[in-house]
Amino acid sequence: MKIGVYICECGPNIAEKVDIDEVIKAVKPLDNVAVVERFKLLCSQDGKQFLADQIKKHELTHLVVAACSPREHQQTFMDVCEQEGLNPYLFQLANIREQCAWITDDKKEATKKAIRLTKAAVARVQYHTPLEKQQIESNPDVLVIGGGIAGIQASLQLAGPERTIHLVEKTSSLGGLSQYYEKTFPDMKPCASFIKGLIETVKNNPHINVYTNTEIEEILGFFGNFEITVKQTTTPEATAAFEVGAVVVATGATPFNPEHISKYGYQKIENVITALDFEQMNLSGKITLKNGKPPKSVAIIHCVGREEKGYCSQICCMYSIKFIRYLQKKVPSTKITNFYTDLCIPGKSQQHFYEQSLGNHVDFIRMSDLQITKQSDKIQITYSNEKDASKKLSVDMVILSPVLEPTQGLSSIIESTRISQGEKGFLTEEHEKIAPVSTSTEGVFIAGCSHGPKSIEETMSQAEAVTGHILTSLIPGQKIEPEVKVSHISESFCIGCKTCLNVCCYGAITFDDLKKVSVVNEVICRGCGNCVAACPSGAITLKHFTHNQVYHEVKEAVQ
Amino acid sequence: MKKSIRETIKDFLMKAMEKGVFDAVLIPMKVPAGDSYVYVLIKDKALVKDADPLPPVMSVQGGKAVSSVTRLGKGNLKIAAVMRPCEVRATNELEKNEQVNPENITLISIDCPGVLPLHDFTSNPEEGLAVFEQAEKKHDDTKMRPVCQICDNSSLIAGDLHIGTLGAAKDSVFLIAHSHKGQEVLQTLQLSSKGSLASWKKQVQEKVENKKKQRSMTHKQLKKQIGGLENLIDTFSRCLNCHNCMRACPVCFCRLCYFDSEKVKNVREDYMQQAQEKGTLRFPPDTTLFHIGRMTHMSVSCVSCGACEDACPVSLPVAQVFSMIADETQGLFEYLAGRNREEPLPMKTFKEDELHEMEDAHD
Amino acid sequence: MNKKEPFSDILVVGAGIAGIQASLMLSKAKKNVHLIEKTSYTGGASIKYEEVFSNMECSTCMLAPIQQQLLQDKNITLHTLSTIKGVKGSQGNYIVTIEKKARYVDMVNCIGCNACFDPCPVSVKNEFEEGLNERKAIFVPCAGALPNVPMIDTEHCLRFKNKKCTACQEACMFEAIDYNQKDETFDIKVGAIIVATGFSLFDTQKTPHYGYGTLDDVYTALEFERLYASNGPTEGTIQLKKGDSPKSAAIIHCVGRKEQGYCSSVCCLYSLKFTHYLTSKLPDIKIYNLYSDLCIPGKSHQKFYEKMKDAGTTLLRADAIKVEKKGKSMEITYTDENNKKTSITVDMVILAPALLPHPDTMGLAKTLDIAVDDHEFFKENDTTSSCVSSSKPGIYIVGCAQGPKNIQDSVTQASAAVGKILSSS
Repeated sequence: MKIGVYICECGPNIAEKVDIDEVIKAVKPLDNVAVVERFKLLCSQDGKQFLADQIKKHELTHLVVAACSPREHQQTFMDVCEQEGLNPYLFQLANIREQCAWITDDKKEATKKAIRLTKAAVARVQYHTPLEKQQIESNPDVLVIGGGIAGIQASLQLAGPERTIHLVEKTSSLGGLSQYYEKTFPDMKPCASFIKGLIETVKNNPHINVYTNTEIEEILGFFGNFEITVKQTTTPEATAAFEVGAVVVATGATPFNPEHISKYGYQKIENVITALDFEQMNLSGKITLKNGKPPKSVAIIHCVGREEKGYCSQICCMYSIKFIRYLQKKVPSTKITNFYTDLCIPGKSQQHFYEQSLGNHVDFIRMSDLQITKQSDKIQITYSNEKDASKKLSVDMVILSPVLEPTQGLSSIIESTRISQGEKGFLTEEHEKIAPVSTSTEGVFIAGCSHGPKSIEETMSQAEAVTGHILTSLIPGQKIEPEVKVSHISESFCIGCKTCLNVCCYGAITFDDLKKVSVVNEVICRGCGNCVAACPSGAITLKHFTHNQVYHEVKEAVQ
Repeated sequence: MKKSIRETIKDFLMKAMEKGVFDAVLIPMKVPAGDSYVYVLIKDKALVKDADPLPPVMSVQGGKAVSSVTRLGKGNLKIAAVMRPCEVRATNELEKNEQVNPENITLISIDCPGVLPLHDFTSNPEEGLAVFEQAEKKHDDTKMRPVCQICDNSSLIAGDLHIGTLGAAKDSVFLIAHSHKGQEVLQTLQLSSKGSLASWKKQVQEKVENKKKQRSMTHKQLKKQIGGLENLIDTFSRCLNCHNCMRACPVCFCRLCYFDSEKVKNVREDYMQQAQEKGTLRFPPDTTLFHIGRMTHMSVSCVSCGACEDACPVSLPVAQVFSMIADETQGLFEYLAGRNREEPLPMKTFKEDELHEMEDAHD
Repeated sequence: MNKKEPFSDILVVGAGIAGIQASLMLSKAKKNVHLIEKTSYTGGASIKYEEVFSNMECSTCMLAPIQQQLLQDKNITLHTLSTIKGVKGSQGNYIVTIEKKARYVDMVNCIGCNACFDPCPVSVKNEFEEGLNERKAIFVPCAGALPNVPMIDTEHCLRFKNKKCTACQEACMFEAIDYNQKDETFDIKVGAIIVATGFSLFDTQKTPHYGYGTLDDVYTALEFERLYASNGPTEGTIQLKKGDSPKSAAIIHCVGRKEQGYCSSVCCLYSLKFTHYLTSKLPDIKIYNLYSDLCIPGKSHQKFYEKMKDAGTTLLRADAIKVEKKGKSMEITYTDENNKKTSITVDMVILAPALLPHPDTMGLAKTLDIAVDDHEFFKENDTTSSCVSSSKPGIYIVGCAQGPKNIQDSVTQASAAVGKILSSS
């Protein structure tokens, strides 16, 4: 073993704050250290050339550089190693600038620490093993689960001669919820007809295979290499199997059913209908009561189910205002009263949409509680708010605006892809802020209301964002380079308790039923190390962070 | 009376084997030398009459025995395992850790009177047996192991069937089904839980309340005794680092214990340095560290069975300390190790909202 | 008609979170990206926050890795201190003229040691810190700003007032200070442009009844963010102008909402975040949140709201708010939900102002020849689609440049724009 140790002066940055000669003196006598030198600026062209020459001259087997933060130049020096035929993982960088020279003016202290850090790096690097990058084939095709607007948009954007999309829809037709909306907010643009058009485009696209009345039976494999089996829900229940590189879960949402909340009287009192009932009625062309006559007064109740579900569904206030427009167009003299708790109309165009909907026949009443009862052939709404303890309003028709709930029945998809379902039942994104459409399982994406309640505009945005992700990471003909520093489970020490399986959030660990041990899939593993910590017997090691490597580094550092 | 109870239980088992409800029974039996009791797997129903479902000692923890039998292979034959409640709990914990295959296993527990310290019995088996018989007759457990004396789960039902002896009429026992499997067994044998369990429940409740009080007082004392690092080190100071407690423990299932691995072994130079810094360095080192470490790994699954204390060659109060800590750690998660098969292990379960008191966002 | 071969490079305007996300994604797809940024640093508004809702995650920890990735990415060329001077061409073939101001510091030689700051004789208010502290004429906006290279502010540097001063150059050991640098103008050829210029805050001086600018301890949201920031002017100590800690605070929502005519969608949520900021540093402080309608849409935000509420704040629905001095504190008079006039007294007032488009939006819209809407945000082309397409094909508008939104939606739009570019090429 021949370790070369090089200390960068970083100009005066390190040279003036650390006694480099002392460091050299301390490091030179260490076992296996072949050479210790100092250099003005190792990251410069000259510096890199110097290192390259040194590796050749001394036939170094390991390289240690004491300089700035790994964030700055770890890759730079690793590249130098690679160019000289030295495995880049047989290298260790000691940070004696940001963590040493830059934090104290006491030269003695800084030197002491620099010696510790450099010695620690030398101790660690001796336990490094060469690691090789892998390259694996990938399939550019995509499985899109859910034929609603999100699934349709993603399919249309992704499909192409080099990429087949398999669009699986569990009902008999594509279109999801939005196919029932005549118009969308905030511009009252045509929706149902637009969706119809999109569906035709999907059907005519030769690169999109549409499977209706079909459910997912099994998803095996990992990013770039998923094996999918789907099954028809209607007889003859035929199955189909295909391979894809990525999965998009666009399973949408369903409106909350207020039947069990007695105060709303849904399914008990005539002419109390839900938003979806009303959308469908409006789309059919006429807005009427059960007796066929047009309503003279309508109440629209916001936030139905909000208390029960525990979140604001984001779109109900807006679509409730849209209903005012529908009514104003089809039944112009109707008196409309909107009952709400907090008006949620975020966005640059939404407030204007609301203000434009107000008028002589429109009332917005804030309420904290309400009760709907039948009163002869009309409906009575008894409500209270901060101003009044109990007030009554009599109307012909009540439209309930419920929250959106996540689609049920996803357990097999969730289990086989190992994505998470949050507390509210929606699918969990990889990171709330900077990775909202990917999941912790690489290659599995979520878009639309499967992620959380949102408008059509936001759904389209997410579907296109997924497209962006897939087009950048799953390129036809390009291989995938998985993480190198991954976990490894020792077969002889694993007792098969599956603790690591439960801890891995990437689905990278599977259980070998024959040998009764856990196994790491090195392609999916991201090297987070959770399993290493969780294993009670220490049967798991993380490459490049083995017990010996870390132990000896720390031992030298605290000596 | 006690003889009859044992006979009653064995009759029940033999009948069950006759009817094909079980193909085999896993049950304690006295060793031929007469100086101990061990778990045996019996296929010949005739041999069941030589078994003893409530022996005076617990040499091998029932959970370990069940794990040994079932961990590998297929579960084709139906086995009845007759054990104490703590052993059933250990079996449940092991199942959750993939060390027990529960297929075709029926777990049968019995109201436990406690057991004698193993060494007390094995050094003089005849006397031990006499002491045990007296204790059973008088319902006096002052000669039993320290952890048994403060056990408040001696009638806890965590398996498929439970045999209740407390509050039962002379020569009879309560047969309590706790699961579908248990019910099926009773149905097949045309035994119904007839009559009320009221007297059993009452006696059990009284005992539990009593024991809870005792437990709380004892633990308060024990906390004072071992509180602080100095006291803890002193408590474990005669430890030999033999790790026998770990080997006897049913929920310590690792193939290679972390504390037996290379990771805790150091080189000579390091020991020299430690000796330099500490003055004197005992060998093998890290005795207290071993106990604290083992606690960290298994405390949430500890069933307070006391096998560890029996196994200790220098009679450390291992079970007493571990059992007390287990109450605390399990209490954090509102968990009781092994009380049922469905409850997931706290250490493997991650909730969005938990242990906020452990988080610290800012100073 | 001859169809030109489309240029494959992409221009991203604005190195905030949306611009960074778009650039990194495009680079992953092996596209060459020109990322231009008007200021000297990357990260936009998000690096001013200490924490973000709803998990109170450390904002720097979230951003620093991607900023670093950005700086080291071989496919991305970052031009700071740069703006667009002109654009020619159409989708697939844009020739964009970039005007790049001189930094006067060599970005290769400078290693970010900060030795040039001390000797500089000029001190001015630090804009990044919302004027709460000062910086020199040669400066980085805050500790940890990336790229970690200072710039010389030509408005205040003595050399640009015809005075002789070489203090910074003398202090630099790397020969990184170069007074000979000149502003540059150069052309780049790109196939598409993503505009991610972000937002600015409503000028609360336009609503004097909130007391901003006249009363000492009335702060805007960004000022408060900097007060709480551990790399900010007070290193994270929440203190009033005179240096004592506030015993009570009021957070006023919807500042500028009436004037602007829309709900900015993030203010209620970050106001709740501020409640957390206050209670975490000052556990006994009394906090009021004055709002009109609570806007907390989304699957995780109501839970966040309830948690913050439990942490200790009084929520008051309030209208006709007025803030005036009252002795050492301030009195806030307002009309409550029963239409009654009432008041509270507090030591500190934090205003949550509306999000406006970046002040350069109108100019940039003219240069790019794309439409803006009534609020002067860039106007999207088709609202049944995802709103990232501007009125001109090949130019995309993402993040707060398109409309007020939170980080999650900005990032989604950035990815959506990338999706649109890659699926059409």
